[in-house]
Amino acid sequence: MDTPYRTIAAVEQDLQRFPPAISEEFQRAHEKLAPGVPSEDLLAWAVAGLRIAQQTIRSWEVSAEYYRVSPQVLSVLSFERFSVWAKQGETLSLQSPSIALSYFRVGFECVSILPMDRLAEWTQMGQSLYKGTWKSSIMAARFFDVSPAMLRALSFDDLGRLVQLLETLSHYSSDLAIEALALVADTFPRLEDSRGQLLSLLTVLVEKNWRDVKGTLEGAAKSLPRVDRQHRARFLRLAEQMITAGHSPVAPFVLDTSRAMGQLQPDGQARLLAMGEALIAIEYSVVPEFLRSGPTMLVRLKVPQAEAWFNEGVRLLKENKDAGVAFFRMESSHAEQLLESLSSTVELPKIKELMRMYSRALSGTQVEIASSQELAQKGIGWVSENKPTTEGSTVYLPPVVDQYPQKEENFDWYKVVTTHQVAHLEFDSFTFTYDRPSTLYKKDLRPRLSPKPRPPQITQGQPKPAIALEGWATDMQKFFDIFSERKMALDVFTLVEDGRLDVRVKREYAGIRSAYKRVQGDTLDTRETNEEMRAREMLVEMLVRLSLDQRTGLTIPATYKKEAERIARIAQRTFRHSQTVEDTSEATLRIYAILMSVPNKEVPPEDQEELDQSAENDSDQTGDSDSEDDKFLEQLQKEQQEKNESHQSGDEQESQEGGDAGEDKKYSSPRDVDFRGSFKPELVQLMNKLRQAQGQGQEEEQQQQISSEMLQQLLQNNVEMESPSKGDQQQVASLFANNLMREAGMPPANMPPMGQGPFVHMDEEGGPLEVHEPFSYLYDEWDFRAGDYKPRWCLVREKVVPEGDVGFWRQTVTTYAGLLNQIRRQFEMVVPESFRRIKGQTDGEDFDLDATLEAMIDKRAGITPSDKVYWKRNKVQRDVAVALLLDMSASTAEAIEEGSRSTDDWAAPNDPVEYMTWLRAHRGESGARRQYKRIIDIEKESAVLLMQGLELMDDKYGIYGFSGYGRENVEFSVIKDFHEPLNDNVRRRLDRVTPMHATRMGPAIRHATAKLDAVDAKTKVLFLLSDGRPQDRGYSREGVEKEYAVHDTKRALTEARRKNITPFCLTVDKSGHDYLKTMCQDMGYEVLADIHSLPERLPFLYRRLTV
Amino acid sequence: MSLAKPQLGKEIRVEEYIIEDEPFYLPQGDEVTLFETAYREKIPVLLKGPTGCGKTRFVEYMAHRLSKPLTVAKPKGKSAADAGNDHHRVPLVTVACHEDLTANDLVGRYLIEEDGTRWIDGPLTRAVRFGGICYLDEVVEARKDTTVLIHPLTDHRRILPMEKRGVILEAAEGFLLVISYNPGYQTALKDLKQSTRQRFISLEFNYPAKELEATIVEHEAGVAPEVAWQLAKLGEKVRNLKEHGLQEGVSTRLLIYTGKLIARGIAPRRACQVAVIWGLSDDPQVQRSISEIVSSIFE
Ligand SMILES: Nc1ncnc2c1ncn2[C@@H]1O[C@H](COP(=O)(O)OP(=O)(O)OP(=O)(O)O)[C@@H](O)[C@H]1O
Ligand SMILES: [Mg+2]
Repeated sequence: MDTPYRTIAAVEQDLQRFPPAISEEFQRAHEKLAPGVPSEDLLAWAVAGLRIAQQTIRSWEVSAEYYRVSPQVLSVLSFERFSVWAKQGETLSLQSPSIALSYFRVGFECVSILPMDRLAEWTQMGQSLYKGTWKSSIMAARFFDVSPAMLRALSFDDLGRLVQLLETLSHYSSDLAIEALALVADTFPRLEDSRGQLLSLLTVLVEKNWRDVKGTLEGAAKSLPRVDRQHRARFLRLAEQMITAGHSPVAPFVLDTSRAMGQLQPDGQARLLAMGEALIAIEYSVVPEFLRSGPTMLVRLKVPQAEAWFNEGVRLLKENKDAGVAFFRMESSHAEQLLESLSSTVELPKIKELMRMYSRALSGTQVEIASSQELAQKGIGWVSENKPTTEGSTVYLPPVVDQYPQKEENFDWYKVVTTHQVAHLEFDSFTFTYDRPSTLYKKDLRPRLSPKPRPPQITQGQPKPAIALEGWATDMQKFFDIFSERKMALDVFTLVEDGRLDVRVKREYAGIRSAYKRVQGDTLDTRETNEEMRAREMLVEMLVRLSLDQRTGLTIPATYKKEAERIARIAQRTFRHSQTVEDTSEATLRIYAILMSVPNKEVPPEDQEELDQSAENDSDQTGDSDSEDDKFLEQLQKEQQEKNESHQSGDEQESQEGGDAGEDKKYSSPRDVDFRGSFKPELVQLMNKLRQAQGQGQEEEQQQQISSEMLQQLLQNNVEMESPSKGDQQQVASLFANNLMREAGMPPANMPPMGQGPFVHMDEEGGPLEVHEPFSYLYDEWDFRAGDYKPRWCLVREKVVPEGDVGFWRQTVTTYAGLLNQIRRQFEMVVPESFRRIKGQTDGEDFDLDATLEAMIDKRAGITPSDKVYWKRNKVQRDVAVALLLDMSASTAEAIEEGSRSTDDWAAPNDPVEYMTWLRAHRGESGARRQYKRIIDIEKESAVLLMQGLELMDDKYGIYGFSGYGRENVEFSVIKDFHEPLNDNVRRRLDRVTPMHATRMGPAIRHATAKLDAVDAKTKVLFLLSDGRPQDRGYSREGVEKEYAVHDTKRALTEARRKNITPFCLTVDKSGHDYLKTMCQDMGYEVLADIHSLPERLPFLYRRLTV
Repeated sequence: MSLAKPQLGKEIRVEEYIIEDEPFYLPQGDEVTLFETAYREKIPVLLKGPTGCGKTRFVEYMAHRLSKPLTVAKPKGKSAADAGNDHHRVPLVTVACHEDLTANDLVGRYLIEEDGTRWIDGPLTRAVRFGGICYLDEVVEARKDTTVLIHPLTDHRRILPMEKRGVILEAAEGFLLVISYNPGYQTALKDLKQSTRQRFISLEFNYPAKELEATIVEHEAGVAPEVAWQLAKLGEKVRNLKEHGLQEGVSTRLLIYTGKLIARGIAPRRACQVAVIWGLSDDPQVQRSISEIVSSIFE
C-alpha cells in the first residue's frame, strides 16, 4: 500500500487536526478491531479513513461515520471485500460527502443483505441518481438511507427498475422524485405481494403522466389495505390499464375504486374487477363510474343476475355511449329498474308505501312503517336494527330481506312479518287492562292477586303529574309487578300472545295462511336444540315451539312431563280459543306458576323425553279447574309475599331463588323468534301513556311536566329495555328516559333543530336523493344525452310564501284601475257564453218556438218537418283549472329599463362563493332603495290583475313561484294553493314574492303538473311566466349547460301535456327567443317584446287559452 | 229478484210500480221506525250515505212496508190511481239525478201530436198526483232550477207548481219526497243549500257492520257463509283506507257482485280483482295495496 503512514499512531496524530468526534470514533473502533485484525490491514483501514477526512472540509463527518460502522461491517466481510466497500464509499465521498455519509450509515445492514457481487451494482444505483446537483445529491443520499428497507421489500431487479424510474422522474422534477422515493420507501414495505405490480404501474405513469406519481402513490398507500390481498395486484393492473387507456388523474380512481371494493367480500371484489376489466376494452371512461356504483349492484344481485345486468349495460354502451354511461353510473331509470327486477332482495323503501297502506287497512289505525334502524337509533329500549317490532304507532321492519332465493318469497316474508306486527294492533295486544275479565276463564287470577302498589316516587308537593306515579303508570306494569321472575314472565307472556296472534291471523286470513306456515316452519327448522338447557328453559323452549305450531318431538325433561303437559294444554287452549290479551295474561299466570314449581336444573340427555301434543284436539273441553287454579293462586301469592318482604329488606337480587339454590341456575331466555321480532308490551303502554299525557298537557297548562327522573323510576324494573352497551345502569336509564320523552313529543328545552338546512348542497354528481321532510317531493330529471331519466334527481321543497303587506295589492289595483275594468268586462263575458241556448236540437229542455212553428207549417204543407225543434242549454260547463308559475329567480331582479346586460352574465356560476356574490349582485341587494321596476314586479302586478279577473269565474287556480339552488333545493313557493280562497293572507303573500336564487324549471313544472293533476277539471292550463332562462347552478354537466336545462324543461312541459294539461310559456326576456324555440316548438309560447304589456297580455292570453 | 218486474218488453207506468214482494233489507238501526213516522207525518226525508250502502234498497223496502198494512191485495193490473184515496199501496218513483236533469224533466213536457201538442206528466208530477214516494237519487247532481220544485213540495204547502201548464198540483195524501245525497264527493260548488237541507230530516247511512254485511252478502250473492264473512272483512279493511289513498271505501254492492262471481265459480282473488280492486282506484300503488289485502284474506 502506497502510503506515507507507517504507524497507526501517525494516522491518529493527523486525525487530531479534525474535530474531536472523529478521533473518538476512531479510538472506539480501533479498540474493537485491534485484537483480531492484522496490523497491516489495520493500518490500511486507518489510513482509508484519514484519506476520506482529508478530501474536503465537510468530509470529516463521513470519515467519522466510516470509522463508526467499520467494526460491524468487518464482522461480516473479509478485509479484502471490506476494502472494496470502503473504496466505493471514498469515491462517493469525493462526489458528495452527504451521499457517502448515507452510504456508510446503512453499510452494515446492506452488506449483510447483499451478496458481494451485487454490492457494486447497488452502489452504482445510488451513484446514478447523482447528477452533480445539490438536489440530486439529496436524492442519492435518500436512496442509500432507505436501501435496507427497500432491499428487504424488493427483489434486486425491482430495485433497479425503481431507481431507473426515479431517475426518469427526476428529469422532470427532482423534488417530485425525492418525494416519490420517500413515499415508495413508506409504502412498499407494507405492500407484500403487489409491489411488482405497483412498480409497473408507476413505470407506466412516469411515462404517461409523471405529475400523477405522487398522488397515485399516496392513493395506493391508502387504498390497498381496503382491497383483499389476493386481488391487489389485479386491482393495480386495472389502474395501470386505465392509465394506458388515457385516464388521468389516476389517483382519485384508485381511491374511489378501493373504497367501493371495501364494501364487498373478496369474491365480490373479484367480480367487480372482472367487470371493470371487461369495460376497459369497450369504453374506459365509464369504468370509474361503474366501479363506484357497482358494489350496490353486486350486493343486491346474485352472480348470474349481476352478469345479466352488466351485459345489458354493455349492450347499451355499444349502442349509445351516453345511455351506457348513464346506465353504469346508475343514473338511469333503466338501470334501476333492471336492477330491481333482477334482484331477489326486497328493500324496505320499495315496499314501504305498500306496507303502510296494507297495515292501515288491517289495523284501521294510522300506522306508519319505518326501518328498524330508525327505532334502534332512537335509543328508547330497542336495539336490534334488523328485527321487526312496533312501539304502538309505527311498525318497524328490517331494512332489507334477502333470506330466500326468490323475490316473491322475500316479499312474502315481509308481508308475514308485517301482518304479525299489525296483528298486535288489530287484535289489541297493547290495550291490556288489569281489571278487564278474560274470556277463557271462569275465575280470573288477577283480581285475587293485586300486587302491592309502589310507594309514591316523587316527594315534593308539586301539582298532579300527568301520569300516575303512585301505583303503576300502566296496567302492563302492574301485571308484571306480580312476578319475581319478571323476565320469565315476560317471555311466557310474549310467547302466549304471539302464539295467539299467529293462530288468529291464520284463522282470519286464509290467503296468507300458507306463507305464514312456511315462515313458522322455517323458523322451527333453523332452531337448534340447545344441549345446555335447564329444566325451566327447556319448558319455555317447548312453549316457543308450540307457539310455532310444532306438536310432536317436543323435548322435555322426563321428570316434569306432567308439568309440560299442563303447560302445553294451557298454551294451546289460549292459542285456539282466546279472544283477548287478558286471556293471555291469565294463561301467563298459570304457566308461570307451573314453571316456578320446576327447579331450573340441568337435564342430562338420558332424562330428556319427547312430548307429542298432536293428539290434543281442538275442543274446549279442557277447561280450567278450580282446584288447580287455587293451587296456582296459593303459589303466586306466596311468591308475592316473599317478594315484598325481600323488597323491604332491600336485597332483591339475592333472594330470588328459594330453598335449593345450590343447583338452581338463573333463568335465561330462549332465542328470539326472528320473524316476530321484539314485543315490548310494557314499554308500548308506557309510550302510549306518555303520548296521551303530552296531548292533554298541551291543553291543561297547569299540569306538571313529567320529568325524566320520574320516567327513570318508572323504568326501574322494566326488563324490556335493551341497551346497546353495558354501560353505567344509571346513565343508560337516564338516557332512555330522555329519549322516550322526546319520542312522546316532550323535547327537552335545548334540543337542536332537526331536519335539512336550507342549503345542504349536494353535488350534481352523486346519486338519487331522498325525502326526509314533509312538503318535499322528488322528481326525475331528463338527461337528453342518455335519453333516459335520472331517477329522483331533484328535490322540490314546497313552502308557503311568508306574508308581507297588503299594500302592494291595493297599490296595483289602484294603478291599473282602468285596465282592470277592461279585464273584468272581458272575463264577465266568458261566463254567460257557457250558458247559451243551443237551438236546433232533436231533444232538449223545451221547444224552440221558431223551429216549432216552422215544423208545423212544413207539416201542413206536406213537407217532412224537421225534428230539430228543441233548444237546450250548452252542456259544456266551464270547468277550468290553472296554475300560474312565476319565475322567482335572481335574474328577475333585473331592472326592466336596463336590459343591456349580456345574457350570459345571468348564468349562475358553479363555485358557491362566486355564486353568492353573483346572487347578491343580481338580487340588487347591494344598493340603496330601489327606484326602478324589476321584472318580478311586473310579474307580480300581472298576477294581481289576472287573479282579480279569475275571481269572477268559477275557475280553480293556484299561484306559485319557483326558484332554487342546485337539484336538492328547488324552491316551490305557494302564493295561493288551489284549495285556498283569495283572502288577505294570499294578498299579503304576493308582496313578499322576491327574486331568490337560480332557475331550475323542470322540477318546478313537474311539481305544478302534479298539483294540476290532482285537481278535477276538464281544462287544465299551466301558465309559465319566466324571463326565459332555465339555468341553475349545475343544471348541466360538462359544458352542455343550456342544452341540458332546455331539454329537461321541454321534457317537463311534454309530460304536462301528456296529463292533459295545456302548458303555455310567456316570457319577458328579449333574448329569450332562442331558448324558448327549442323548448316549445310545438307548444304555446309567446315572447313579449314590451314588458310593460304583460299585465294586459296575461289575462288576455288566459281567456284565449281557456275558452 | 224481489222486485215485481214487468215481463220482458212490457211497459209499466211509473205510478204503478209497486213493490210486490218484500225486498230483503236488514236494518242498521232505527231507520225503519224513523222513516215510518216521517211518512205518517209527511216529513220529507234526506238519505245521506256513501254509494252502494243500501239507500235505494231501503226506500224500496219502506215503500213495500208502507203498503203492507192492507192485507186485501188489489187485483193485479189495476192501477193504483184507480184506488183513489186508498193509499194503502205506495208506488215508488225513483229518479236518478244527473247534471242535465232539469225541472222540466221532472214536471213534464209537451209533445207534438197530429194536430197540436199533448202534455205528459214527468215522474215527479206522477208521484205527487198519485201519492207515491218520489225518490230523487243524488239530488245535488241535478240542475239548480229543480230546487224551485222541491221547495214548495217539501214545506207545509205540499204543492207542485206546473209553470208550463199554468196550474198548481196539490200533493195527494201518500206523497213523500225522499232525496239522497252523498256528502263524500261534493265540492263547495255542488253542495245542498241550507234552505233545501233544512226541509228534510236526515237519515245517515253507512256501510253495514261486518256481521250485518256478511249476512247481506251471503243472502244477496248466495255464497257460503265463510266467503260472505271474508268479503265483509275485505270491505272493512278496504274502508280503513278511505282518505288514505282511497276516495271511497268499497260498497256493499261491489262486495255482493264479487260474491256473485265467486258463487259462479270465479276464483276469489280474480273476482276481487275485477270487482273491487280495479273498480276502486286507478292508482297502481293503491291497487297493489288492496290486492295485498285481498291475497291475505283469500286463498
Ligand atoms: N241493510 C241492507 N240490507 C239488505 N241489503 C243491503 C243492505 N245494505 C245494502 N244492501 C245491498 O247493497 C246493494 C246496494 O245498495 P243500494 O243500491 O241500495 O245502494 P245505494 O245506497 O242506493 O247506493 P247509490 O248511492 O250508489 O245509489 C243492494 O242491492 C243490496 O243488495
Ligand atoms: Mg241508489
